[in-house]
Amino acid sequence: MRDLSIEFCGVKFPTPFLLSSSPVSNTAEMIARGFEKGFGGVSYKTLGGENTKIVHPSPRMRSYDYGGKKVIGVQNVEMTTDRPLKDNINDIKWLKKNFPKHAVIGSIMGFSKNEWRDLALTVEDAGVDMIELNFSCPHMSVEGSGMKVGQAFELVREFTRIVRETLKLPILAKLTSNVTDITEPALYAKEGGADGITAINTVRGLAGVGLDDFVPSLNVYGKGAISGYSGPGIKPIGLKCVVELAKKKELGLPISGCGGAETWMDAVEYLLCGASTIQMTTGVIRYGHRVVEDMCEGLSDYMDEKGFKGVKDIVGKALPNIHETSAFDVSRQGAASYDLDRCIGCGQCHIVCQDAGGQSLGWDSKKRRPIPDDEKCYSCMICSFVCPVGDPPVITFKDIKGKKPSIAAPIR
Amino acid sequence: MGKTLRKNNQLTSLFDMEEGYSLTQAVAEADRCLLCHDAPCSAACPAETDPGKFIRKLRLRNLKGAVRTIKENNILGGICAVVCPAGRLCEEKCSSTEIDRPINIGKLQRFLVEYGWQIGFNPLLKKPANGAKVAVVGSGPAGLACAAALSKEGCEVTVFESARKPGGVLRYGVPSFRLDGDFTDREIKDVAALGVKIECGSPVKGRGAVENLLKKGFKAVFVGAGLPAPYKLNIPGINLKNVTTATDFLKAARAGNREKISRLVKNKNVAIIGGGSVAMDAAGTCKALKAAKVYCIALESMRELPAYKDDWLMAVDNGIIIKPQCRVREITGKGGAAAGVKGVETVWKKPGSCLPSNAKDVPGTEFSLAAGAVIIAIGSGPDRGLAEMMPKVKLTGRGLIQVDKKTLATSAKGIYAGGDAARGPALVVDSVADGKKAAGSIIGFLKGAK
Ligand SMILES: Cc1cc2nc3c(=O)[nH]c(=O)nc-3n(C[C@H](O)[C@H](O)[C@H](O)COP(=O)(O)OP(=O)(O)OC[C@H]3O[C@@H](n4cnc5c(N)ncnc54)[C@H](O)[C@@H]3O)c2cc1C
Ligand SMILES: Cc1cc2nc3c(=O)[nH]c(=O)nc-3n(C[C@H](O)[C@H](O)[C@H](O)COP(=O)(O)O)c2cc1C
Ligand code: SF4
Ligand code: SF4
Ligand code: SF4
Repeated sequence: MRDLSIEFCGVKFPTPFLLSSSPVSNTAEMIARGFEKGFGGVSYKTLGGENTKIVHPSPRMRSYDYGGKKVIGVQNVEMTTDRPLKDNINDIKWLKKNFPKHAVIGSIMGFSKNEWRDLALTVEDAGVDMIELNFSCPHMSVEGSGMKVGQAFELVREFTRIVRETLKLPILAKLTSNVTDITEPALYAKEGGADGITAINTVRGLAGVGLDDFVPSLNVYGKGAISGYSGPGIKPIGLKCVVELAKKKELGLPISGCGGAETWMDAVEYLLCGASTIQMTTGVIRYGHRVVEDMCEGLSDYMDEKGFKGVKDIVGKALPNIHETSAFDVSRQGAASYDLDRCIGCGQCHIVCQDAGGQSLGWDSKKRRPIPDDEKCYSCMICSFVCPVGDPPVITFKDIKGKKPSIAAPIR
Repeated sequence: MGKTLRKNNQLTSLFDMEEGYSLTQAVAEADRCLLCHDAPCSAACPAETDPGKFIRKLRLRNLKGAVRTIKENNILGGICAVVCPAGRLCEEKCSSTEIDRPINIGKLQRFLVEYGWQIGFNPLLKKPANGAKVAVVGSGPAGLACAAALSKEGCEVTVFESARKPGGVLRYGVPSFRLDGDFTDREIKDVAALGVKIECGSPVKGRGAVENLLKKGFKAVFVGAGLPAPYKLNIPGINLKNVTTATDFLKAARAGNREKISRLVKNKNVAIIGGGSVAMDAAGTCKALKAAKVYCIALESMRELPAYKDDWLMAVDNGIIIKPQCRVREITGKGGAAAGVKGVETVWKKPGSCLPSNAKDVPGTEFSLAAGAVIIAIGSGPDRGLAEMMPKVKLTGRGLIQVDKKTLATSAKGIYAGGDAARGPALVVDSVADGKKAAGSIIGFLKGAK
């Protein structure tokens, strides 16, 4: 196994994989088992002020399934920790004592300036390596908390500054994607003194609605709500936010990526897009800590294969290839290419091309084979999404020299 | 030797080993896996293969890791995937059976091993040399597994094999339509890549030959000599021409003069005596060699047939006629060669025992079949030369090598044994398990000896 360690905001992480702040980081006992499996750090379940009594709705989460595939996402209505502050502090102390080489980040959320300050001091006292300011829980029911702060940018700066003035530890601001441009609050956090950004928290969503009772399927005794949605479904949003943050020159802060990571490949994508560590919750909700074994092993093999010496060498490698769409060279055009010897004649490509694509793909009903037309093909590539034959795929993209963009003909 | 997808279980030639999964097929099958906690499939493998883990790794796209999980534990993971009667091992215990059907663990395992070969990924690492030389007698699965495990620990291992090519039964028993030579060669390459020397055409023979290895600088010896001596039936006609044993027949089909072996059965009826998997292998080979009617005549009822269900189903799918609860009394001849068999139907005297002595003929059910070749498939026993080769090693009443079950040590210091030669007829995966276990004991012994 390669050395997977990385330095992030001046703290050394034995692996870049972190349990993110959530039920997967709720107690020292479970976090310890996660560390043993390969997590390099934890953002401990968010602590709130002692005056806010948290009682969790029941049930607390709902899986979003797709066909036979379970848990492509999770909707939750969990708040900050419901455990007594002193228990959490004890747990954090125990972790730091027993896992001195692992990084423990104290996640906090206050409702007033004083609360932010007190919480910061308390977790610092407990011995955390970093602080994460939770500006992003999308369903805290208290005004002036969670995502509401993340959307009121002056508050982001103000609360960050209070913590900055209180202590020297590195500070992460955990931001919400539920804004137009995530770099705006990030810049405010930087002004307030943040050393890094965690992106993203859950995205506001609704997993489904009961068809018989008309209540959302995260049904809390007859009531539903829009709340935090996480898991593989939000990975494209997480990656987008990380890229935007990484590309923002004025920001220049290290990033902890989060959202939908489950496999080592997801993790590598986060690294390539500019994250230096990867946090996760839903992957652990789905599979348990053992996912990280495969992430460590997979990342190590990937580094061997590509000749990367350290994890840090992967960080941001994709950024030079990510542009505005206006940069594309539209003078070059291609089409879907068909390897018909291996076609099994299901005809799905023809159906979707007619009904949703370039209406270019004909059909030989005797031979049961599609009839491609390079000229008319849009290269939307949807036929390749539905083709069941892989290894290698029957339908791929091919460049066609000198091809004009194809545009649908008017009705006759 | 093209690998074809086998439609309806049909054998078309001696060589059409069934094709493995593609990545897409493997991922789809892995998607069905429930990723069980404390996976029952994993607990069911004699060689401690961990399907629960490698399927999870495949599912999470950690393909190299999945290959590593298999191969680090079982150097012959690909071969086991192909020849294990998984329906009686891991797949029998699979939780998915409760939903619809077990996960096809064998094919997933085979896919991963072949995938590793395809991308040139070899996860096996070797510890620094420890200076100890160890000899292994026999290159069957037991010998190979032991040699690989010892080599990984840093020993210098030499395997002595009397046959021309390594593999034991894998090479000269199992028909190539189930496991072909290319596949076997490829996996044995992984053993050789660990630095194991395999010396073919080098029988260990003569008085005290095994024990003498210890005097020639080898610090320990593992004996995995298998069961090379087929049992014969004591019935009239057994010495006629065109009467042979399954061991000899299958060996000839894989390594002998193919013309000659084909002439033995082509366009003839063949009577095979026996109802085990080896009988089914011989029957399938006859069919692939274009025999006319092929009979397997067994003492057991269909329900009691010793052959694995997949094996006899494949035989039936290929038109082989199984005659259950029958006894062959005589092989009839014409001009010195086999011309048919005469037999009778039987019932058990007492229920619950399938011993020949418990079978009773049923009067009025006598039959005779025309058959131009007869193949005896009633099992094999140990080499009768073992006692001479290692006089200090105790043998059992059946002539098997006596070992301590926990360590696989024989009664002679430094000599270990496993696989069929110590267990009697078992499975490839059992031999692998023995090879690994003996290697562990040998490492302990070497440390103690220092
Ligand atoms: C026809 C047939 C089909 C089978 N099919 C299956 C199957 O599908 N699945 C399954 O799990 N099991 C199957 N088995 C059982 C399985 O093959 C055996 O259990 C297994 O091969 C035993 O391994 P081994 O290493 O103990 O011995 P073997 O495979 O018998 O190997 C012993 C080796 O030692 C060599 N040897 C012996 N004496 C000496 C000597 N003095 N010097 C040098 N070399 C020597 C032999 O030449 C041989 O190569 C089958 C068996 C047969 C006969
Ligand atoms: C049930 C649940 C509770 C969560 N609680 C918190 C929290 O207390 N503090 C916080 O910063 N993020 C919290 N999160 C957000 C996660 O830490 C993470 O940012 C988000 O789930 C996206 O990552 P994922 O797709 O890997 O789950 C919670 C998520 C879930 C599913
Ligand atoms: S996962 Fe555990 S805590 Fe959650 S509902 Fe099920 S039993 Fe209860
Ligand atoms: S979707 Fe693929 S397999 Fe089906 S008809 Fe089209 S090309 Fe052939
Ligand atoms: S028992 Fe079956 S379902 Fe469970 S882990 Fe093993 S293969 Fe998967």
